[in-house]
Amino acid sequence: MLPWLLLLLPLHVLAGTEPLRGVSPDLISRYDPAQASSDVWECLDGSKTIDWSAVNDDFCDCVDGSDEPGTSACPNSRFYCVNEGHIGSYISSTRVGDGLCEPECCDGSDEAPGVCPNACKEIGQAYRERVRAEQKLRKTGSKIRSTYVAFAQKEKKRLEQELEQTEQEIAVREKEVARLKDLVERTESLSAAALEERKQSPLYQSLMTHVTALKSLQRQYQKHLEREQSLGDILDSLRTGYNPNYQDMAVLEAVRGWEQLAGLPHINDVGKDDENTEEEGSDEESSQEEEEEDDDGLWSELQVEHQVDELLRTDYDALLIEHDKHVGAPASPTSILYNLSAYLPDALVPQYESLRDQFVSWLESVGLVKANTDTSADASRLQKALSDAEHSLSLTRKEKDEKERDITRLFDPQWYGAEGEWKKLDRTCISKEVGDYIYEVCLFDEARQKPIKGGSTFSLGHFESWNNADVEQGSPEYYSRQRYTKGAKCWNGPQRSVTLHMSCGTENAVLSVAEAEKCEYEFKVTSPALCLPLSSTEEKSYTAGREEL
Amino acid sequence: MRVLSAALVLAALPTAFAVKAHDFKTCSQAGFCRRGRALSSRAKENPAWRSPYVIDASSVALSSDQAVFTAVVKSQLYPEVNFGLDVRIHDDGVVRVRMDEVGGLRQRYNEAASWALLEEPKVSNAIQWTVAKDSVRAKYGPKNDVEVVVAFEPLKVTLLQGGKEQVVLNGRGLLHMEHFRTKESVAKAREEVANPEEGLDTDDSQAVMEQTLPRTAWFEGETEDGWWEETFNSFTDNKPRGPESLSLDIDFPNHGHVYGIPQHATRLSLPTTTGEDAYYTEPYRLFNADVFEYLADSTMSLYGSIPFLQAHSAESTVGIFNAIGSEAWIDIGRPSPKSTTTHWLSETGILDVFILPGPTIADVFAQYARLTGTPALPAHWALGYHQCRWNYISSEDVRSVQKRFDEEDIPVDVFWLDIEYAEDHKYFMWDHKLFPDPVEMTKDVEAIERKMVVIVDPHLKRVDDYPVYKEATEIDVLVKLKDGQSNYEGWCWSGSSAWVDYFNPKSWDWWKGLFKVDSQGNSWHWVESTVNTYIWNDMNEPSIFNGPEISMPRENIHHGGWEHRDLHNINGMLFHNLTAQAVKERTDPPRRPFVLTRSFYAGSQRFGAMWTGDNLGTWEHMAVGVKMVLANNIGGFSFAGSDVGGFFGNPEPEMLVRWYAVGIFSPFLRAHAHIDTKRREPYLLDEPYKSIVRDILRLRYTMLPVWYTAFREASVTGLPVLRPHYVAFPHDEAGFAIDDQYFVGSSGLLVKPVTRKSATEETVYLPEDQVYYDYFSHHAYRGAAKGKNITVPAELHQIPLFIRGGSIVPTRERPRRSSPLMKQDPFTLRIALDQDGNARGELYLDDGETYSHEKGDFIWREYTATRPGKKSRSVRIHSRNLATQKPGEAVDGVALATYDSANDFARSIAGVRIEKIVILGMPAKPVTVTKVGGKTQMEWTFTPGVAASDKKEGTASVLVIKDPKLSVLMDWEVIVHA
Repeated sequence: MLPWLLLLLPLHVLAGTEPLRGVSPDLISRYDPAQASSDVWECLDGSKTIDWSAVNDDFCDCVDGSDEPGTSACPNSRFYCVNEGHIGSYISSTRVGDGLCEPECCDGSDEAPGVCPNACKEIGQAYRERVRAEQKLRKTGSKIRSTYVAFAQKEKKRLEQELEQTEQEIAVREKEVARLKDLVERTESLSAAALEERKQSPLYQSLMTHVTALKSLQRQYQKHLEREQSLGDILDSLRTGYNPNYQDMAVLEAVRGWEQLAGLPHINDVGKDDENTEEEGSDEESSQEEEEEDDDGLWSELQVEHQVDELLRTDYDALLIEHDKHVGAPASPTSILYNLSAYLPDALVPQYESLRDQFVSWLESVGLVKANTDTSADASRLQKALSDAEHSLSLTRKEKDEKERDITRLFDPQWYGAEGEWKKLDRTCISKEVGDYIYEVCLFDEARQKPIKGGSTFSLGHFESWNNADVEQGSPEYYSRQRYTKGAKCWNGPQRSVTLHMSCGTENAVLSVAEAEKCEYEFKVTSPALCLPLSSTEEKSYTAGREEL
Repeated sequence: MRVLSAALVLAALPTAFAVKAHDFKTCSQAGFCRRGRALSSRAKENPAWRSPYVIDASSVALSSDQAVFTAVVKSQLYPEVNFGLDVRIHDDGVVRVRMDEVGGLRQRYNEAASWALLEEPKVSNAIQWTVAKDSVRAKYGPKNDVEVVVAFEPLKVTLLQGGKEQVVLNGRGLLHMEHFRTKESVAKAREEVANPEEGLDTDDSQAVMEQTLPRTAWFEGETEDGWWEETFNSFTDNKPRGPESLSLDIDFPNHGHVYGIPQHATRLSLPTTTGEDAYYTEPYRLFNADVFEYLADSTMSLYGSIPFLQAHSAESTVGIFNAIGSEAWIDIGRPSPKSTTTHWLSETGILDVFILPGPTIADVFAQYARLTGTPALPAHWALGYHQCRWNYISSEDVRSVQKRFDEEDIPVDVFWLDIEYAEDHKYFMWDHKLFPDPVEMTKDVEAIERKMVVIVDPHLKRVDDYPVYKEATEIDVLVKLKDGQSNYEGWCWSGSSAWVDYFNPKSWDWWKGLFKVDSQGNSWHWVESTVNTYIWNDMNEPSIFNGPEISMPRENIHHGGWEHRDLHNINGMLFHNLTAQAVKERTDPPRRPFVLTRSFYAGSQRFGAMWTGDNLGTWEHMAVGVKMVLANNIGGFSFAGSDVGGFFGNPEPEMLVRWYAVGIFSPFLRAHAHIDTKRREPYLLDEPYKSIVRDILRLRYTMLPVWYTAFREASVTGLPVLRPHYVAFPHDEAGFAIDDQYFVGSSGLLVKPVTRKSATEETVYLPEDQVYYDYFSHHAYRGAAKGKNITVPAELHQIPLFIRGGSIVPTRERPRRSSPLMKQDPFTLRIALDQDGNARGELYLDDGETYSHEKGDFIWREYTATRPGKKSRSVRIHSRNLATQKPGEAVDGVALATYDSANDFARSIAGVRIEKIVILGMPAKPVTVTKVGGKTQMEWTFTPGVAASDKKEGTASVLVIKDPKLSVLMDWEVIVHA
C-alpha cells in the first residue's frame, strides 16, 4: 500500500525538493542560480525573470516551459530521464507524474518515488539485444546485398559487351538496307507501270473494297471488344467493390445479373450450393456455344482475332501477280529454263541453278531473254526483303536503346540505386496470401491482387517511383518506400495503388498487406538490398557487444 | 474511353445523389397519414365540424383515494363500439390521458409507455376531481392555478394555468381511433347504406353525399383508403388487422414555439408543416430508419424517435409525451405567432398522452425525467475523445494509430472498431487473420488507461458455425414472420441474417451472458474481450437492406403476438438497453456501461449515448448537427454528438478543424469516417491545422470537470447538458429561435461553434445586461437587457467561447494522453465576476467508472466569490461542501441521508489541489491575498483592465493567484483584499 499512500502527497512537495529534476546534463549549467547575481533565474528563452525558488515549483511561469523541467506544470516542457544503464532521453511533460511507467523513462524518475521500479537494466539489456539482432540481420543481409552489387557490375559489363555487339550488328544491317533500297528503287521503276495497269482489274478493285470493309469491321469489332472489356471491368469492380452501405437493391441486382451473364460465382452469398450449380450451368452454356460455331464452319473467336490481321497483311500487289499467273498468262520462253531443275537429279540441282543464273543473266545481257516478264514479282519480293531488313534494323536499334537505357539506369539512384543493388531484383516477383487474395509485386514492374477463389486479377499499379516524400534522393529513407500507381480503378473510388514499406531483411519477401484506405495498399517488404553494411563504429560495438553478452 | 470517363463522373457524384428519397415514404404514401391529413382538411373546410367522440356522463367513475377517473367514450359514428377513457394526475402534476377500444376484435398495442417509463408513475392522492354536468375538472399546483378540464360532449381535455389554456386535446375535433373491424363487416355495412341519423349532423354537405356512401363518410372519408393493404415500392404490407390508426390534435393556444420530437435534421424551434406559408410540406415523421446520406433540412424521419414535445412562451413551458410505439407523423401549424397547433397521426396503439404542466422549463425537464428517466451518469472517460473509423483494419493498425496519437501528444480515450473486425460480419467473432490477438491489442490500449469500443449490430448471420445465431435459434428468440412461427430472414452486412426479438424476455439473460469475458457453463461467452471493451450498437432501427424502407416488414411478429408495426420505434432501444445491462453486469461489482446507439426512443437516455448517424462532410451537415444534438438534449437524451468530420466525404483541413471545435462542445465527442474516405486522424493534418486540432482537443480535456459536473446535474434533475437560449433564458423571446449557440450545463460557458467556411468573425447574441468574458482573450463584452448582438473574432484557431459574468469554471489544464491519467492533476478556478462582483460554480467528481458514488464516494463542491460589502472592491472566495448540504440531491436515484467527507474517493484524491485561481473583472489591484486562517500571503500577479462593474468593453483585469495551496475538496476561504 505504500505507493498508494505516496500518491496522496501533493506532487509539489516531492518536486520542490529537487530544483534540478528533469534537467538534462547538457542544460544543467543553465540551471545554476549562482550564475545569476542573486536568487533569480531567467527563463531559457529570456522572456522573463523569476525567483530561483519558482524553478520546478510545479507552477508554470515561463512561456517556454523552461522553469518546470521536472514537473507537468508546463504543457510544452521536456523532462530528462537519466536512465542509468540504458540511454538517457527526454519525455514530454504530459508523461510526468501521470502514474504510468514508460520505457523511454525506464528509471521511473518522472513519477513519484515508488510508482515505477527502475527497469533500465532489463530495458537496456533488451534494447542492446534488439540492436544486436538488427545489426546481425544487417550483417547477413549486407552479404547478400554485396552479391547484388557484384551482379550489377557484371550486368554492366554484360550489357556493355552486348551493346558493342548490337552496334556492330546495326552497322551490318544498315549496309544491307542500303543495298536492298538501291535494288528496289531500280526494280520498281521497271514494274510500276505494268502493275498500275493490272490494278484496274475489277476483281482487284473489288478486293480492295473488301479489304476496306474488313478493316472497318475489324475496327468496329475492336471497339466493341474494348467496350465490352471496359463494361466487364466496371461490373467486376462493382461486383467486388460495391459498397453494401449503398443499400441499393438496384446495385445488387446489377451485380447478380453480371454474375449470371459472366458465369461468376455469387459474391457475399451464403448459399454455397447455388454457387456451384450456377457455375456448372454457365460452363455448359459457353462450351455449347463454341461447338455451334465450329459446326457452321465459320471462324472461331480466336481465328477472328488473329487471322483477320494476317489476312489484311496480305501483299495484294504480289497477289495480283500470282493471280495473273494463275489465270494462265502465256509461259515465257525462259520458263523451261526455270523449270528444268524439276527434271534434274537432286545432286545436280545446285550446280545447275548457279549455271542457270549465270546463263540467264548472260541471255539477259545480250537481250535474248526479257528479264522484266516477272519484274513485278521480283519487285514485291525485293520490297519484302527490304522491309524485313528495315524491320530488323529498327529492332536492333531499339535493342540498343534499351541496352543504353539499362546501362544508365543501372547506377541511377532513381532506379537501381547508386551501387546498382536493386538491379538483381528487377522483375523479381514476391507475394503474400492474405484472406482470399494473393498479393504480388514484381519489383520495378507491377503489383497485382489475385483472387484465390476465382475471379479476375486486378492490377494494383505499375512502378512509379521510390519514396516521393520529402527525403534525400538516394538516402536509406528514399529506398524505404516504393510507389506503384495507376492500377485498376475502384468502383466509387480511386485507381488502386500500392506503397511498399521496405526494410532490411535476409529475404525478399512481402511480410504483410494492409488496405488502410480503400484501394490504397501498403505492403511491408523486406529485402537484403536495404541491408547496409555496418559502419566501422557499429562494427566495433557489434564485436564488443558479442563479448558483453 | 467514353465509358470509363462516364464511370469517373459517376464516382465523383455521390454527394450530389444525397438521400434516396424514393426509398422512404412521404405522408401521401402512408395510408394512415393520408387519411389523417384528409380528416384534418375536411375539418378545416367544414365550419360545423364537431368531434363525434363523447363521454358517457353516466359512466364517469372516480377512484376514492387517488386522482384517477375513468369513463366510457362513444363515437357517434359507431355507437356499437366502446372506448374506455382513463385520466389521472400524477403527484408531480403530470396528467396522463389514456383511451383504448374496449371489447373490440383485439387489443390495441398498449405497451409503448411501459418500455419508455422509468417506473409506474405515482398518482396523486391529494388532488380531487370534481364532476359537473358537462365535465370533470381538477385544480391543483403550488399556487392552485393549474386546472384540468375534461369536457364530455365532445370529448376535450384542456390544461389551464392561471385561467389560460396551455394544452388542448381534441379541441379541433381531429381525435379518431379507428376501431378494429373486418373487411367483411365493412362491406356489409356499405350495402346497408344508412341515411345519416337525424340530429347527428345537420351539415348541408351531408345532403349532397351520394346515397351509396357510408354515413361515416363526412368524418372518415368516402373510401377505404389503404385500410386493408398497402404497397410501397415493391413491398406489399398485407395489414391483416385492417385500419387501426389514431389521430389526435394537441394544441397550444398560448405558445408560439415548439421544440423536441427528435430526430430530424431541422431547426431547434420546429418550423411549420401546415397552414399558409408552411415552411415544410411534409409532416414531421417518427419512424426509425437508416436514411442513407440524409438531407440537412427536412422533416424526414431518421434513426431515432422521441415523441416528446415542448411548447414554450415567455410566460410558461408545457410538454407532451405521446407514448406512440408505431410510426407517427406530426403536423405543426402556427395560426398566430403566439399559438401552435399539432396534429399527431400514429399507425397503431392506444391513446396514451402525458401532459406536462410545467410551468417553468426546469419543471418540464424534471417532469419528463420523472417519466422516462434522466440521462445515466456516464463513465468519466466516455466524455473524452473517441477515435473511430470504418475501419481500423488490424491489431497492428490499432496499435499504430495509438502510437501516432502519443507521438503527437494528442489526447484520446477510446479507439473504436467498426464492422470489419468481425469475420464475415459475425459480431463478437474476431477476424483472426487481421486481429490475431484481440485481447493483447486491447491490453496495449488499456496500458495508457484507454478503452476499446467494438461494434455489435443486431443482425445475426444465419450460419450454424456462428454460436450467437445458433444459440438464438435454439432458445427460439428470433423475430418471426407474419405466420408467427418461422424465423424472419433479411439481408444486411452479414448477408442473410436473422434478428433477435428483444421483446422476448427469454432473450434477456442469454444476451447478457454473451458479454461475459470469461467462460462459464456451456453457453458461448465473449472470452476474446476484456472488461474495457465497450460496445457500439448500430443498425438497430433495424436496418435491413432488402426490407421496406430499409427496415423490417411491419407484419413481422414479436413476442406477445404484436406486429412489428406496433413497436417499430421502440425496437432499437431494447437492443441498446439489453446491451448496456450486459456490459454493466460483466463485472461484480458492476461498472458503468458505455454503449452507443444509433436508434433510440423515449427512455434511451438511461442506457448510454447516441450519435446523429451517417452525416455528410459538408458545412450544412456540420451546422445542422449542432441543432440535432440540441434537439436531442431537449428530448432528454443529452449524451449526444455528431460524427466529427462527417461520415461521408473528405473534409478539407479547414472544415475538419471547425468540426473538431463543434465536437468538443458536444456531450459525445467522436470522430468517424466512411471506409471510402481518406484517413483523417488529427495527427495526419499538416501544420498549422494539426496544432490547432491538438489545442482544441486539449481544451476539451481541460473542461472535462465542467462536462462531468453538468452530467451530474442532468442525471439528477433532467436538465439538459446543452442548454439553448430558450432553456437558459426562458423569458427572452429574442432567444427562442436561436439554435447555433448554447450554454454548457450551469457552468456559464456560452459557445457559438463556427460552422461557416472562411469565417473570420461571428455574431453572438448576449441575452441580458451582464458582462461576458471571452474565454481566451478575457475581452469583456456587455450585453443588454433587451438582448444584444456582438461581433467577435473567429479565425480558424479561435472559438467564440464566453464565460458569463457570475460563473466559476473549474478546469484541469495539464495535457495528458488520456483522461484517467488526469486523476491526480490539480485544478484551475476561473472566476468571472458579474457586475455586482459575485460568482458561483460547482464541481462534481467521483471515480468515474463504478457505482460507488451511489454509496457516497464522491465530492461535490460549490465555489463562490462574493463582494463583502456594497462599496467594497475586495472579493471573498469560498469553497463549500455541497454534498454535506444536499446529500439527497447529489446522486441520481439515491437519497443519501448523510455524506462522509472522508469517503474512499475523497481520500484517493486527497493530494489534489487548486494550482491556480484566475479572477476576471476585479475592480482594483489587490493589496493582499490571504487564506483565512493561513499565515502567509499568497503570490499573485495582476494585469489591469476593465472591471466587471464597468460599463465599458475591453480586456478585463486579470488576477492570477499562483499556487494558493488549497485542496480541491476542503472548505476554505480566501480574501482578496483590494
